[in-house]
Amino acid sequence: MTSFPLLSIVLWLPALGALLLLLLPRNRDALYRQVGLMFTVATFVVSLGLLVSFSTPAGAAASAAAPPTMRLLEQLPWIPAWGVGYSIGLDGVSLWLVLLTTLLTPIAAWASWNSITTQVRYFQVLLLLLETALIGVFVSVDLFLFYIFWEFTLIPMALMIGIWGGANRMAAAMKFFLYTFAASLLMLLSIIGVYALHRSAIGATQPGFGGTFDLLRIVADLRSGAFALDGNLARLLFGGFLAAFAVKAPIWPFHSWLPDAYSEAPTPVVILLSAVMSKLGTYGLVRFNLTLFPEAAGWAAPAVAVLAVIGILYGAMVAYAQSDMKRLVAYSSLSHMGFVVLGIFALNGLGVSGAVLQMVNHGLTTAALFLIVGMLESRRGSRDLAAFGGLWQATPVLGGLTLLVVLSSAGLPGLNGFVGEFTIMQGAYSSPTLGWPFLAFAVLGVVLAVVYLLRMFRSAFMGDTLAETASLRDLNRQELAVLVLLCLPMVAIGLFPNLLLVSVEEGVAGVMRGILVAVASR
Amino acid sequence: MEQIQIPPVDLAVVAPLITVVGWAIVLLLVDVFFVPAGQKRITGYLGIAGLVMAGAVAAPLWGSDSSTFGGMLVLDNFALALTWIFLLIGAISMVIALDYLPRQGIEQGEFYPLIMFAVSAMMLLGQSANLIVMFLGIELLSITLYILTGFAYPRLSSEEAAMKYLLLGAFAAGFFVYGIALIYGQTGTVQLFSTAPGQESLAEYLGRQTFAAVDLTLLLVGSGLVLVAFGFKVALVPFHMWTPDVYEGAPTPVTAFMSVGTKGAALAALLRLLDMALPSLQPIWLPVLATLAAVTMLLGNLGAIAQSNVKRMLAYSSIGHAGYLLLGVMTVSERGVQGFLFYLLAYSLTNLGAFAVLIALEQRGEAAWSLDDFAGLWQRQPFLALAMAVFMLSLAGVPPTAGFVGKFYVFMAAWEGGLGWLALVGMLTSAIAAFFYLRVIARMFMQEPVRDVQPQLFRGLTLGISIAAAGTLIFGILPTLLINVVQQTALAVGR
Amino acid sequence: MTIVIQIIFALIAMLILGSALMMVLAKNVIHSALWLIASFFGVGALYLLLQAEFLAVVQVLVYVGAISILILFAIMLTRAADLAGETGRQWNNRWWLSLAVAGLLFGALIVPTVIGETWNVAPTEVAGAAAGQATGIAGAAELGRGFVYEYLLQFQVIGVLLLVALIGAIVIAYDETARRRRVLTLAEELELKKRQEAREAKEAKQSRKGKGEKPLPAPVPTDTLSKGNEGNEGNEGLVVR
Repeated sequence: MTSFPLLSIVLWLPALGALLLLLLPRNRDALYRQVGLMFTVATFVVSLGLLVSFSTPAGAAASAAAPPTMRLLEQLPWIPAWGVGYSIGLDGVSLWLVLLTTLLTPIAAWASWNSITTQVRYFQVLLLLLETALIGVFVSVDLFLFYIFWEFTLIPMALMIGIWGGANRMAAAMKFFLYTFAASLLMLLSIIGVYALHRSAIGATQPGFGGTFDLLRIVADLRSGAFALDGNLARLLFGGFLAAFAVKAPIWPFHSWLPDAYSEAPTPVVILLSAVMSKLGTYGLVRFNLTLFPEAAGWAAPAVAVLAVIGILYGAMVAYAQSDMKRLVAYSSLSHMGFVVLGIFALNGLGVSGAVLQMVNHGLTTAALFLIVGMLESRRGSRDLAAFGGLWQATPVLGGLTLLVVLSSAGLPGLNGFVGEFTIMQGAYSSPTLGWPFLAFAVLGVVLAVVYLLRMFRSAFMGDTLAETASLRDLNRQELAVLVLLCLPMVAIGLFPNLLLVSVEEGVAGVMRGILVAVASR
Repeated sequence: MEQIQIPPVDLAVVAPLITVVGWAIVLLLVDVFFVPAGQKRITGYLGIAGLVMAGAVAAPLWGSDSSTFGGMLVLDNFALALTWIFLLIGAISMVIALDYLPRQGIEQGEFYPLIMFAVSAMMLLGQSANLIVMFLGIELLSITLYILTGFAYPRLSSEEAAMKYLLLGAFAAGFFVYGIALIYGQTGTVQLFSTAPGQESLAEYLGRQTFAAVDLTLLLVGSGLVLVAFGFKVALVPFHMWTPDVYEGAPTPVTAFMSVGTKGAALAALLRLLDMALPSLQPIWLPVLATLAAVTMLLGNLGAIAQSNVKRMLAYSSIGHAGYLLLGVMTVSERGVQGFLFYLLAYSLTNLGAFAVLIALEQRGEAAWSLDDFAGLWQRQPFLALAMAVFMLSLAGVPPTAGFVGKFYVFMAAWEGGLGWLALVGMLTSAIAAFFYLRVIARMFMQEPVRDVQPQLFRGLTLGISIAAAGTLIFGILPTLLINVVQQTALAVGR
Repeated sequence: MTIVIQIIFALIAMLILGSALMMVLAKNVIHSALWLIASFFGVGALYLLLQAEFLAVVQVLVYVGAISILILFAIMLTRAADLAGETGRQWNNRWWLSLAVAGLLFGALIVPTVIGETWNVAPTEVAGAAAGQATGIAGAAELGRGFVYEYLLQFQVIGVLLLVALIGAIVIAYDETARRRRVLTLAEELELKKRQEAREAKEAKQSRKGKGEKPLPAPVPTDTLSKGNEGNEGNEGLVVR
């Protein structure tokens, strides 16, 4: 607890930038770009301050029934009549996702300098609004507030796809919005359900209790036994949350919006869409499904894990068949998110920690991959694999960095992807609900990932140099800096995973306290 | 000769009502004698002033709980909140009509007093605690609306709409009267609930009965007929057939006015009837109403999908919204009443704004309401496009708009009232609805203009749209402002 | 005594129903209107039987005296041309279906209310009614007193309602001094139609000679028949149908 509202500053700084952008004079595209980049970078710098509060380890939890420990907690009444508060906080799970967001948004803003040439001002405004909404989802500890941010991410994202996207942009934007919105409504019903059940349960012993949407309070009551969520109703409510998160992540078979949205969105948008937006879903699974419904999570774990494994294999196989690089990376993303879901539903500390770590890893690598695809597309005017060949000769620096990213994505030891996937597989193997069959399929998935990623790398960068690609220029200084900025954390996490794992495990422990009890009692 | 005693009347209870009616009558004369032809907007300004005045008159009455005319009219916070909502609806409708009428060549000063009479009828419905008064309120409202619907008289569609509305409205009135007769036949009273000790009323009558002992057939049949009449007025499926044609044919400000006003007033009256007179019969009427609500939400929204004319689409969507409003009415609970009020205000602001945008797109002799006419609006009229986007998002129930909070409110009430399945139906239909609302947004922002449409903005219209959009956003971000008010409207529900 | 009353009631009821039926079945519209008058008379008689003399008189005065005559006027004015050979049936081929539906609905309403139902015969006096009143409730005096005492509110609201209806009638049917259309006489209407047809024929000929463009719909000649329309923007002209 601190009186300095650092988290609020991180949250609202981008929105402030958006407001400022609207007040600037007309027709100053360069200025809009600079202001947009400035605010996103400033947000990143400020967000580094969040790390300070994690420099000291949290004291041991008061009891096994304590809710997750939130740092930098800020709580203000917002709609007191309903028990809705503006309460935001940070734990080890959300910390790194917030940092991921604040790191990738400036990169997206930078990537927009070249690729977005029309209505520049409004693109920057939407980008900044989106950043606020994304951070808001990660830091909300109030169900109502969470839902508001969750839905609000949709509006800027759908507009950005629909206005600046490719030829088929309108259909892609509508599909994206409607899929996620429809599923979110089920979550809204579940939120209402949890609220109403909690209110009547606590109201029975404390007359005058008006209900609350405060996650910490509800979880505390759950763990202390004052409020119980079990039986079929709890499973239905669990399903409502799961639906929203499964579409967002996406989990197979709820992914059909993904290829369209990913391939139509312009590069800066697709970076945020794949690297951050998909994490909203898996983050939600950890934060809400596991915390609120430990019993139902144990019940549903095998089924969801099967879907995750199908997603891993399906994504990998479809990715292999793609000749469009953007679609290839899109499907590889589906495959990798399967790993994350598998780790979450391993339902043990190892699996969930690995999943959180892998979310960050996947964010970094996917962002880098889409950035590279965008660079190639802008140079060559095409993203078809057949249009490239032997790029290594023309662009050795780009080639080298691409190789690094591809290897990281494929899970080479020493890079970040390996740490995440290994931890997840370890978790799945030792899981109380899953077991070695899941591990076997996951390993198969890793093998397939190597196959399709290296295939892409080989056909683009190796082989005979095509006449058209021979003259492509290599990275300029800016591009190099950005790619290196993305690659540094990949190597760092791969070499020193404990940088993240310490705080992640602390956060996951807060989540798992309920699970361990529920699973042990099965 | 025997002295005629004039009964004591508590003027405070009827003060806002008298203000509106009196002002309207005076305005009629002023319009005829002092306002020159071609400058009828002066009448409009005066009418708006009258509504504002009535709102101010109502302000000191907040918190009172009194009745007059032998308990036929009551004044509680619920009625007052409704009064303000109706005054706001009337004022915004007049504001957006100021420029519309001359542009369409149908400017006549009587328009504004007629709107005021309709507003007074809606207020009467909100205050009535007596079936006869309720009937008169509905009739006054209906007759005013028949006239207003046919106000663009030489235009055939307007005439046809008025005719259709008149015929079906007459039917509904017949149902209502017959229903009242049957209710009176069983109970001997048409008073909803007692306002003084010893007064006979439906609630009293039902309170005395033990259900096994008494055959309630007459009362039930009568209530059923009254419900059918309300169904017509509110446009619940399956009594909604007239809605799309009438809404499309009527002059747009009138459509805006009745799509929110009629529904609100009729549902408020229904709420009083169900929640204060017949709560003990809830086990009987709840399944009926719940089914009606579910079908209404479903068919209203499904019907809207097929429309390419945005005005017609909004007509269908208003059917669906009646279903959501009904959720708040039928869960006999304080939360339900509050949710109903919140949703009504949110929906009113949003829908009035959306129709105001349609007015801007409506030129003399040609209405540019097809989806294609919205294409590329963002590039030509950013203000209109942004406002329309806010309204569409609010209608779809996307945060941070008032429409979202309203939906949240009524769904919460439905869940707590044991109607979780109905809330689920509401969620699913909202997802359906999102499709056609989003389609408008997509056209406006993501497409190039298809046809050359010149939207025209006037001061009045801009003001109306701005008020509506600002309200939609403010109540979406800071709903507490409104929730604190509606929380004080606790009806003595379920007594 | 009750037997006599019941017989009288049955006779009146038969009169009402029979004439109502004839009103629907009659082929001639004028006959229909006359049957309607008979039906109104029957209702008046029913009021008399219920000791509501005032209502009975009002019924005769208003419905028989005013409304029916208005209806007759309306028929004569609007359908004068057809009256001679008026043979239109008032039902279509689906009449049996409507009959079944109407009968079903009627039965559904009437059966439960008649069978097994005790009517609340003696309505409790509304609290506050002046004591010592005569038991009759439908005399002129009682009605008048009711209007200013018990039912003052309803009385006032009906006043407003009638005012609104009046305004509505004026707004919709205002004559040619306003910018709207005025009601044409039949002769004028025919003349107008003739002129329009001639004009259309002429324009069709012209356009055939011209570039083959589709002719715009002919504007209605507003200047010739209606005076006082000039310079008014909202004028849509005379509407012919």
